[in-house]
Amino acid sequence: MATEEATVGVPVLKPSRWQKTKDSLSILWSSKIAVVGLIIVLFWVFAAIFAPVVTRYEPNVEDAQARNQGPSAAHWLGTDHKGRDLWSRVAYGGQIVLIKWPITEKFWIPGGVAIWGVFLSVLIGATLGLLSGYYVGWTDDIVMRFLDAMMAFPTILLYLIIIAAVGASATNVVIAITIAGIPGVARLVRSLTLDIRTRDYVAAAQTRGESGLRMMYVEILPNARGPVMIDAMLRVGYAIFSLGTLGFLGLGLPPPNPDWGGMVQAGHEHIFTNPWAVIWPTLAISTLVVGLSLLADGLREESLRYQ
Amino acid sequence: MLVEDYMTRHPLMARPTMPIVEAQRFMGKNNIRHLPIVGDGKRLLGLVTRQTLLVDPGRLGSLDLWDITRTLTKLKVKDVMIKAKDVVSIDQDATLEQAARLMVEHKIGCLPVLEDEIVIGIITETDLLAHLMEMMAARQPGVRVTLRQPNVRGELAKLVGVIAAQGWGIRALGGAPHPKDPNEWVVVVKLREMPREQVIAALGTIEGQEIVDVRDA
Amino acid sequence: MAIDHRVKTPVLQVEDLAISYETRKGDVPAVRDVSLEIQRGEAHSLVGESGCGKSTVAFGLVNFLGRNGKIVNGKILFQGQDLVGRSQEELRQIRGDQISMVYQDPMQALNPSMRLGDQMSEVLTIHRNMPRAKAEEKCIAMLERVYMPDPENVMRRYPHQISGGQQQRVVIGMALLNGPALLIMDEPTTALDVTVEAAVLDLIADLQRDFDTAIMYISHNLGVVARVSSKVGVMYAGEIVEQASVEDVYLSPYHPYTQGLMRCVPRLGMDKKSSFLYPIRGRVPSPANLPPGCIFEPRCDYARDQCRLKKPELRQITVRHWARCHFAEEIAEQVWTPPEGLVAELATRAQQAEAPEMILKVDNAKTYYKAPSKKLIGGEKQYVKAVDDVSFTVKKGETLGIVGESGCGKSTLVKTIIGMEEPTGGQFEFMGLDISRPVAKRNLSIIQELQMVFQNPDSTLNPSFTVGVQIGRPLKRFKTVPNHQVRDEVIRLLGMMKLGERYYDRLPRQLSGGEKQRVGIARAIAGQPELVLCDEPVSALDVSVQAAVLNLLMEIQQEMGTTMIFIAHDLSVVRFFCDHIAVMYLGQIAEIGPAEAIYAPPYHPYTEALLSAVPIPDPSVEQKHIRLSGSVPSALHPPSGCRFHTRCPRRAEMLPDGGRICEEQVPPWQHDSDRHRIFCHIPLEKLRQMEAVVTTGDQD
Repeated sequence: MATEEATVGVPVLKPSRWQKTKDSLSILWSSKIAVVGLIIVLFWVFAAIFAPVVTRYEPNVEDAQARNQGPSAAHWLGTDHKGRDLWSRVAYGGQIVLIKWPITEKFWIPGGVAIWGVFLSVLIGATLGLLSGYYVGWTDDIVMRFLDAMMAFPTILLYLIIIAAVGASATNVVIAITIAGIPGVARLVRSLTLDIRTRDYVAAAQTRGESGLRMMYVEILPNARGPVMIDAMLRVGYAIFSLGTLGFLGLGLPPPNPDWGGMVQAGHEHIFTNPWAVIWPTLAISTLVVGLSLLADGLREESLRYQ
Repeated sequence: MLVEDYMTRHPLMARPTMPIVEAQRFMGKNNIRHLPIVGDGKRLLGLVTRQTLLVDPGRLGSLDLWDITRTLTKLKVKDVMIKAKDVVSIDQDATLEQAARLMVEHKIGCLPVLEDEIVIGIITETDLLAHLMEMMAARQPGVRVTLRQPNVRGELAKLVGVIAAQGWGIRALGGAPHPKDPNEWVVVVKLREMPREQVIAALGTIEGQEIVDVRDA
Repeated sequence: MAIDHRVKTPVLQVEDLAISYETRKGDVPAVRDVSLEIQRGEAHSLVGESGCGKSTVAFGLVNFLGRNGKIVNGKILFQGQDLVGRSQEELRQIRGDQISMVYQDPMQALNPSMRLGDQMSEVLTIHRNMPRAKAEEKCIAMLERVYMPDPENVMRRYPHQISGGQQQRVVIGMALLNGPALLIMDEPTTALDVTVEAAVLDLIADLQRDFDTAIMYISHNLGVVARVSSKVGVMYAGEIVEQASVEDVYLSPYHPYTQGLMRCVPRLGMDKKSSFLYPIRGRVPSPANLPPGCIFEPRCDYARDQCRLKKPELRQITVRHWARCHFAEEIAEQVWTPPEGLVAELATRAQQAEAPEMILKVDNAKTYYKAPSKKLIGGEKQYVKAVDDVSFTVKKGETLGIVGESGCGKSTLVKTIIGMEEPTGGQFEFMGLDISRPVAKRNLSIIQELQMVFQNPDSTLNPSFTVGVQIGRPLKRFKTVPNHQVRDEVIRLLGMMKLGERYYDRLPRQLSGGEKQRVGIARAIAGQPELVLCDEPVSALDVSVQAAVLNLLMEIQQEMGTTMIFIAHDLSVVRFFCDHIAVMYLGQIAEIGPAEAIYAPPYHPYTEALLSAVPIPDPSVEQKHIRLSGSVPSALHPPSGCRFHTRCPRRAEMLPDGGRICEEQVPPWQHDSDRHRIFCHIPLEKLRQMEAVVTTGDQD
């Protein structure tokens, strides 16, 4: 047998799950930028998950004695104008973004508002993009024009319209994020699809007479997942940013629930006496967004090496 | 037979910032005696020869030992080269004779071949000598005959006619005025190998022409 | 002209060059111990398969190694001066004036947004400070030199407005504008059609004579190298293993690797029944994992203990012949016998008593693409006539080869047959059934019998799934075997492809080009189709891998009785592999017949030109020199009458009236024998009088 190695009689082991996971994660470790981004993101995730443990005060407890204080031993990041501990407000504020989606007062789904919003927009956007890119022709034209119309709205305006129409609640914010994100994802997936469908393996599947559904979801989509996932990460960043803006405009969660944007809104009146109330939530938003961007950038760099 | 047919294209060249010590080594290692100095785009800036690398003692006279060494190592070719405007050069579609003339008149051994100040080749006396060698069929064996004839029209044709009548081919043919007598013309003809007597018999009888030398070459 | 007295310093002298790349896992020595020299006016080739380091050497010369490449040892003496260790500025000065490089893809050198005239003039105005008008004059002169038709016009055009062959000519012209001493060419003709390539190679030889430039030519194509160069260096895994004149390397190679290469290359004289291609067993070692001792030892048939222990030096065997082998002289003496099992025993193919049945019948096939009309509304509909009236038949068990240059319609024809394109007209009968409908509308059973192997090994497999899953898919879809037996069947197929069981769980990116192509073939035959269409399956592979894959295809054909249609642009491969051959030009068949008939007169004039253009890897062979002028016309407006008439070199001399009839009337089919026909006006007797294009030195 003219093979490179002897194969008869050698037991073959499938690479274990653990091995496969380690391989995928190795991409992560090899980019310094990605690691920095990951550290920042994980910091906020842990802060949000373990908020009850790492903070000493409840986020909504007011302390008239300790209003507008700067950082001190008692209050690590200081207090706001109502005497609430800023560190615990910031930590708990992360929860809604990253950890919890409160459907009703009592019941919540794990995964923050930003994350769910982006996830749903990727789900729907990818489907539209695949349809558009694979079938081209009329399907493409119709879907694209529809999405163009949606994209014509400035994002914030879109959010405002939706929230104003259906009211401010976590679920509605998720819907707003989803709708705002669909066109971008669809465009991305569409262009990836247009490229991937020219590959020979897609042609090979066609010569087997595979169904359209299979072509899109089995042949094409798995090969588009890299850029889509990286884009999704960035979108989470944008979503957080938009949440901040909404909060600042008073359209986020109704007070006194901690919400970074809302904190900035509340604190900005007192900005000259106590800038800390504004600085910490702003920093929270910006570092988290930067962290996500770095993570996305680092991964993109590494994944391109294998192209 | 133009310069472009015999010149060496892509000659070895150097930048003006090359130290003369390195230039000397370079020329020695590559066995060349002339080194064009060029700038961007192979524009001729100067020429360096073995002689120009001999630094004028006057320059060094006043320095002590260490300074001399330091000066020598710091000197670059641009400090000692013959400047472009003083370099005699030639065009690629000039004739070889023109090249020879320049070399004789200026007593130089090589000419950079320029096209709009760009060095495209170099032609040396050795190239001309090689050409002379070819012209006189020096590498082919045969009989070499030197004749004297009057410096008058038709004489050469007579000679060639006689040779042609014999059915012989001419491997080389050259002529020039006699160095001592302008009325006379010296002709050198190279024929294929054959007994000398045959040659003398055929050519010795031409009126007004005299065989000066016959040899196997 | 005597050259003894000339400067002996070579234009380029490389000594013990070693180049490494920094990677996350450490330094990878990509090139080790390379030495060569090139004199003025000489053409020296570096030949080798992919990954051997030849391009790395070229980039190292001009310091284009990228951020992580570095020269770790050696000297590069250009015009006597060492390039290693120079600053960027110094290198730039030396490079710009005196070293030029031409790449495979002309669009890498041409700026798509600048007019050609501007780009070309830039070379002169920037390096030589020449005034613009003068630079343009010189550019036009150079364009004439490279045989560009209508140079003034070309100066005003953009790169995308001229053909690939013309682009490459412009690039070569640009490279020579400054009169460089050294021209490095990295596979400059690989992307060009055979006839265009032949013309460009002629051009290079021409220009080299005039400009006395030293040329370093890098290629994997042994035929091109034989035509272009006087000296050859054979590279393997980063080292030069043999170096000598072209004749010596091709006709009496000393190193086992070179010998192996020469055995892998299909020559124009061979055919399937009489000879074999012997692939080199094993695989090229990765530079990170080199064998101790001789790097070729694991694959060498003559390996001995010493080879494993001690690294051989590149030593001189005869006056101008170097080889890197301990036992080179002894090996040359021996007669090589193929080792056991390298090539499966191919039973001589007995002629079938009864005519085998016809499996595919194509009549008057037409596939047109709609071209966007130039006007916004209305305007005449224009069609790109990719396939225009093609008829042929294929019998069961045969291999039909389709040959032609780009734009001839061979790919479109095959895609129409398999149903990826919709035909505009004609009848297509496969196994007695009509297949003129696109694949989506065909019966699953028909789909199963008609499968395809693709050209590009890198895109033929889905990167997200393992080999096992991908080969298993057709098995599941066509229900060739019950589900619980799929894995076993996949492993059996892998075995047929000479791939072991451990390939089942590998991802495509872990495979080499040859391995991917084999998986692609396994996938295609998994459903046991009757007819397999192969679209240039070996064009993108290295020579030794090509040999292995071709042998594999032949074995499959023997074992499974599959019929094949094989598209290629390499005429020697087609000759080796196919029983019948069709030559296509601009959407039509010019000549079709049994393989031997195509390669011997009578020829269609286009076939003759193709055969004389193919670079043959054998310097002792004589080949006629027929070149086609112009380029392939557009399929939107094909020429009237015979489509080849605009470029036909034979019509003027062989037909009355300078071949007027070729412009006016569509040619008739002339039948030379039962299955050999030629589409030409020139009468058969005259065609039969043509001389054979290729004659070997020892022709009987």
